[in-house]
Amino acid sequence: MSVKKVSGNKSVSYARYGYLFILPFFVVYAIFTLYPQMLTIYNSFFEYYRDGLTIVGPNFVGMKNYVALFTKNSSGYIPLFKFLGNTVWLWLLGAVPQFVIAMMLAIFFTSTRLNIRGQQFFKTVIYMPNLIMASAFSMLFFALFSQVGPINQLLVEMGVIDKAFNFLGVRVTVQSLIALMNFLMWFGNTTILLMAGIQGIDESLFESARLDGSNATQVFFNITMPLLMPIFIYVLITSMIGGIQMFDVPQVLTNGIGTPNNTSMTLIMYLNNFLGTSKNYGMAGAVSVLLFIITAILSTFVFKTINKK
Amino acid sequence: MKKLLSISLALLMGLTAVGCSNSTPSNSASPAPAEGGEGKVLNVWTWNTEFWGFLGKYYADEVVDEYTLKKGDVTIKRTTYPSDDGAYQNALDEALLNQATAADDDKIDLFLAEADYIVKYTNSDATMDVKSIGVTDFSNTYQYTVQAASDAKGTVKGVSFQCCPAALIYRRSIAQDVIGTDDPAAVQAAVADWDKFNQVAADAKDKGYYMIATTNATYRVYSNNTTSPWVKDNKLSIDPNIEKWMDQSEEFVKNGYTAYTSNIWGDEATSEMFGSGKTMCYFGPAWYFNFSMTNAQDKEKGCFGDWAICQGPQPFFWGGTWMLAATGTDNPEMVADIMNTFINNEEVCEGLVKNEAQFSNNQKINNKYASDPTFGNEFLGGQNDTAIFAELAKNIKFQNVTQYDQLCNEGLQKYFTEFLDGEVATREDAINNFKDFIKNKYPSITVE
Repeated sequence: MSVKKVSGNKSVSYARYGYLFILPFFVVYAIFTLYPQMLTIYNSFFEYYRDGLTIVGPNFVGMKNYVALFTKNSSGYIPLFKFLGNTVWLWLLGAVPQFVIAMMLAIFFTSTRLNIRGQQFFKTVIYMPNLIMASAFSMLFFALFSQVGPINQLLVEMGVIDKAFNFLGVRVTVQSLIALMNFLMWFGNTTILLMAGIQGIDESLFESARLDGSNATQVFFNITMPLLMPIFIYVLITSMIGGIQMFDVPQVLTNGIGTPNNTSMTLIMYLNNFLGTSKNYGMAGAVSVLLFIITAILSTFVFKTINKK
Repeated sequence: MKKLLSISLALLMGLTAVGCSNSTPSNSASPAPAEGGEGKVLNVWTWNTEFWGFLGKYYADEVVDEYTLKKGDVTIKRTTYPSDDGAYQNALDEALLNQATAADDDKIDLFLAEADYIVKYTNSDATMDVKSIGVTDFSNTYQYTVQAASDAKGTVKGVSFQCCPAALIYRRSIAQDVIGTDDPAAVQAAVADWDKFNQVAADAKDKGYYMIATTNATYRVYSNNTTSPWVKDNKLSIDPNIEKWMDQSEEFVKNGYTAYTSNIWGDEATSEMFGSGKTMCYFGPAWYFNFSMTNAQDKEKGCFGDWAICQGPQPFFWGGTWMLAATGTDNPEMVADIMNTFINNEEVCEGLVKNEAQFSNNQKINNKYASDPTFGNEFLGGQNDTAIFAELAKNIKFQNVTQYDQLCNEGLQKYFTEFLDGEVATREDAINNFKDFIKNKYPSITVE
């Protein structure tokens, strides 16, 4: 490649072509992301909803929607906090095993010593659940674990339980099922990303470590993990943002009400309750803005703490 | 290759032009036959296929596919959203609010609504006076069906194709075993009020049966006999009769009189309708056993003919599907024609009663079959259900309804079920969860 040199001050700037090429992204971003975001923030200061076919508002109400969000409800708690807690808990339940398993698989698959055959096949298989729409996946579990569903039939027939168990009505099982589904859907994706990260590490580092007599644990903690950190943080943050936005799996599995006793109600399901029936843009906007702030804080926090080391 | 492409493109454009020039003059040249002003597409909105099936069978000339019918040169199209969680209402509201700006062929012409939320539409400008488009004869329809489809001023906005007095539907063989008879009159005597009903439930338990498939099965009987609406002056209140339903449900779960606590439409409750089911009683109108009890009608696993109906502990009615005329329709004549067909066309109404086991919205036809000793419903072991419904229809009063009823009814059942399942500590907690749900769904309602 030859670099064009122009004599004197009159250099031809090729930068403008660069701007031209990235322009489409910014235009699309501005129209479909930035503008709606601004609108959401704007709406959050208004009383704006539908009562049947009557549209109420928009009337400016200042911080009223935010105050309402931090007011205790009839059950005596602040819904926002409870549902944030639920969301984080449900995410952790799925994400911890997801990262452990994905990391193990990534190390197995990339290990030159193990040299597992049929990698392509396994990679496809573990990624497969991600291709199914989350709501369809959830619907499937809903049918599988219903009181007259195949799982119950199987367990009764095998004599494990003597009467059908209400999997979808009990907190422990509902939360476990949600975690299981999220795990199944995302561990393949995480595995592949981590594998890419590990493959990016210079193989000679592993080799020399082995020659120096370090065992697998030492290699993992002293070589793989530190060098994988940037990728690991990226995967963690995306998973966390995805977790905060958890919606379709619990929504479908619990018929939208986060059974039982609102213990599976996530923040986005809460948001959806405002939007579905009454198109309550004011309250929904306020929830979204808080969600945005929470996500931003979490991301910065994680990024900062992990990067420090 | 390029040449070929351009030639074919040119040809295509030519064809399109010809197509246009062909159709345009024929439209403008032959001015309006009888229904010349009518649109070519009639859009019907539904939440299930019950009425759509009848429309295809008794009104349309041709069933094109699952979503399309033909009547003359008009195409009838169906748009369907599920009813659960207000999804149908939400979609319908959205479409009706955009009705004015929609293209003629996309405008809603006729939409269905249920008793739980019909007032929302009748009391708005989204529906229009059907008398103005030619539906004027209500002499044979049941009074409550007209009242329900009227706005506060009494303007009629639609009609129902069915009348929905509801009954207790019981398994004959189980009644035989538990009560010792399957004769409707004798069974009625045994379950004439709730105390007697509960007594029979205990007997059923002793014999290894369930009285009801789910605690939610009796909900509509109680909720239809309330003395106050769900929402009055924008305030949510829980009627004493709903409390009674909670009492009964709690007792039934404690004593094991119910098979499940689940949703009545769910797999659990409906699986009890199979021949192998152990549940004796269901509650519902004619549409319930002929449209929603398909498991019982299953040729192999069902128990067709092993059923009968009687009034039950408390008379009630449940739902009914009304057709409402949407403001802005470009097919007013056909809309009126459909409405008239399903309430005044005796041949069609007879078909509904005779072939579909419906209880039609034509008193003359219903009474004719009610008094016909040879008439009987095979599914009910030959019992003349029309005779029973004709009697029960006299009790129906359309009262205490609000536009919020669907979510109030669904929500209360869902949240109370959590208490019955033991995951919510007290009944008050369940009610508080329900109140929070309503508060989030409807900002205009205050809960205390």
